[in-house]
Amino acid sequence: MTLLTGPGPQMSRRTLLRSALVGAGAVALGATAGCATDAAAGGRTQVRIWDLFSGADGERMQKMQAEAMKANPDVAIESVTLAWGSAYYTKLAMASSGGRPPEAAVTHLSRLAGYAPGGLLEPFDMDVLADLGITQESFAPAVWERASYQGELYALPLDTHPFITFYNPQVVADAGLAGPDGLMRSPGSVDELLAAGKAMAEVTGETGLAYGYVLDTAQAWRLFWGLYAQTGAGYELVPGRSAQIDEQKATEVVEVIQAILDGTVAPRSQDYPGAIASFVTGRSGMIISGEWELPAFQEAIPDVGGMPFPTILGTPANYADSHAFVLPRQAHPDRARRDATYRVLAHIVREGSLTWAGAGHIPAYQPVLSEPDYQKLSPQKDYAAAGEIVVLDPPVWFAGAGGDFQARMSDAMTPAMQGRADAASAVRQMLREMNRFLSTPNPA
Amino acid sequence: MSVTSAVDDVRPARSRPARGATRARSGSGLRARDRSGYLFVLPFLVFAGLFLAWPIVSGLWMSLTDRSLTGSGGGFIGFANYAEAFTDPQVWQTLWQTFLFTVISTVPLVLVGLVMALLVHTGLPGQWLWRTAFFASYLLPVAVVTALFLWLFQPDIGLFNTWLGNLGLAPVGWLSEEGVAMVSVALVTVWWTVGFNFLLYLAALQSIPGTLYEAATIDGAGAWRRLFSITLPQLGNVTGVVLVLQVLASLKVFDQIYLLTAGGPNGSTRSILEYIYDTGFTNYRLGYASAISYVFFAVILVLTLVRLRPTRKES
Repeated sequence: MTLLTGPGPQMSRRTLLRSALVGAGAVALGATAGCATDAAAGGRTQVRIWDLFSGADGERMQKMQAEAMKANPDVAIESVTLAWGSAYYTKLAMASSGGRPPEAAVTHLSRLAGYAPGGLLEPFDMDVLADLGITQESFAPAVWERASYQGELYALPLDTHPFITFYNPQVVADAGLAGPDGLMRSPGSVDELLAAGKAMAEVTGETGLAYGYVLDTAQAWRLFWGLYAQTGAGYELVPGRSAQIDEQKATEVVEVIQAILDGTVAPRSQDYPGAIASFVTGRSGMIISGEWELPAFQEAIPDVGGMPFPTILGTPANYADSHAFVLPRQAHPDRARRDATYRVLAHIVREGSLTWAGAGHIPAYQPVLSEPDYQKLSPQKDYAAAGEIVVLDPPVWFAGAGGDFQARMSDAMTPAMQGRADAASAVRQMLREMNRFLSTPNPA
Repeated sequence: MSVTSAVDDVRPARSRPARGATRARSGSGLRARDRSGYLFVLPFLVFAGLFLAWPIVSGLWMSLTDRSLTGSGGGFIGFANYAEAFTDPQVWQTLWQTFLFTVISTVPLVLVGLVMALLVHTGLPGQWLWRTAFFASYLLPVAVVTALFLWLFQPDIGLFNTWLGNLGLAPVGWLSEEGVAMVSVALVTVWWTVGFNFLLYLAALQSIPGTLYEAATIDGAGAWRRLFSITLPQLGNVTGVVLVLQVLASLKVFDQIYLLTAGGPNGSTRSILEYIYDTGFTNYRLGYASAISYVFFAVILVLTLVRLRPTRKES
């Protein structure tokens, strides 16, 4: 730039050196400051918790942690929120293998299969948890099972967050799809869903459903895997062997998705923010979405309705994942910190669940679900049933939220979903990718 | 590069009296200055050693092990990673896509930069405004650039598809159609970084002596003749520099692709660096990721050697 403006005021060498020294000093200071955190916590025991909640649920998590601190005045929680996705798990794995991880961290249960066996996590001490009022009976058996590995509990479940359908009650009523209670009647077959979509499209003038998947690293897989479970077909994904899935049924599922994305029932090519924009502005009457978007929907449509993903292929099944707390393995375990960690986590899971439900999530701590306060939460109570028929990712090390597997599966389906390839070729590519993952060695 | 040479042209003229003064002072001062010279280079050497030399050695060793990000593994496995890399179709696919991106980004980056510089140099009024405007986008961080273009490319409500719709044309899946997505990424890259090449060319244009043009005009050469016989040949060296810088920058493309498409649709924009990142940091296979890096490194090395030979002769 100085070249073009001529010999303007230039930084002298001395000034440059001086500022470089000052900069280096600041870096050194920052490094030493990191060691003094317990002192900064005012003598309280410090518990660092990492999470990946940057949306509306992040605010609620802060509130729950503040309440846990109020109940445990001797504990100071240092909360670190990192961006959702693969980078979060990279950071967590690196911190754990480096031996200086946070005391606790949030993970998806779908990722546990890649974490627990590798020695990156410590199991929970069941006796300590029981003293704090947390026992197996308080959790759904399926969730508890996914949180355990070789008979030990490696993750303390916080919620189940299914991939469901939300609807705009006004559009549903105008399209004649509401039941006597004002709630939408859940379509019971593919044809019923398509008919409902067409009816809503007539009301909105654009499309019936909104569903964003283009360039998303998970959305296509979420829809597929939930519907595949609805067909009742099984699968066998064992590392070192080739993938066993029902190709016939998988192809049918992709064809059903193609039929839904016909441009009227749902747009052929919509991305995630586009789908949300379409739903909240009334350009579609229904959206296929994770329940974590509920706060955003409620802002635009205060009486937004929700229900489990319609059972259109026979067997009730609803794709879901689950947030849980884990204890990354410490190189230098600290008894006081561990004890404090158990206390705040137990408080968050037991007492914070109602707050958490406000973000749309179904609390994993079951006693909350029957509380009258929870029964007042609408539409949460209307889709809570989804929590009983959940299907998580296959329990293999490479699957799970924010992982490469979901991205590759979604990628493989995209051309077929956009109508540029046929369903069978999409399934063949998914199988190829599955086999590639199954043949790579487990890095953990 | 031409920037520094231009500066060098100016500086000796200004500091000549000072240099004479130093020489007059003493002979032993020279040795002290040598020592202080090493002292000045030392911080750089330390950093280069820590962050360049050591990672190269340690990465090479890592590529011979099954080291994982989770800390497990790390045993020596010979050339198994390399054997896997050579038979991994993803390596070749992403390598090919990286070359494709390099070609479709470098050519417009050089040509557009040159044309912009010529236009500004040969008489557009308000030169400073163009200079600033063309260079401004280069100063934006990649996250801002991609955020902007994600909205422009938005399939439903994006500006580009709205324009197409107004013209009665079918919407384009800028980032969601295989074949189109890579072109879109190149488009973003050109918009973002062409200002730098523009600046190099403009600087070079301004340093072409006016006497050449005067002589040519006297000999009766027209504007086009002057462009092709004086301007372009005089820019030859800068073009060489721009090309090399651009090819290297394009080969290591990662951030804008990661932020715009994450490698999709259907892996059609995944560059080799993104595959290395996915392998090492998402799938935790550091050993294998290092091996792919070294394969890529070897390819770049060969390219550089092939490319450097003619340049060296020229200069």
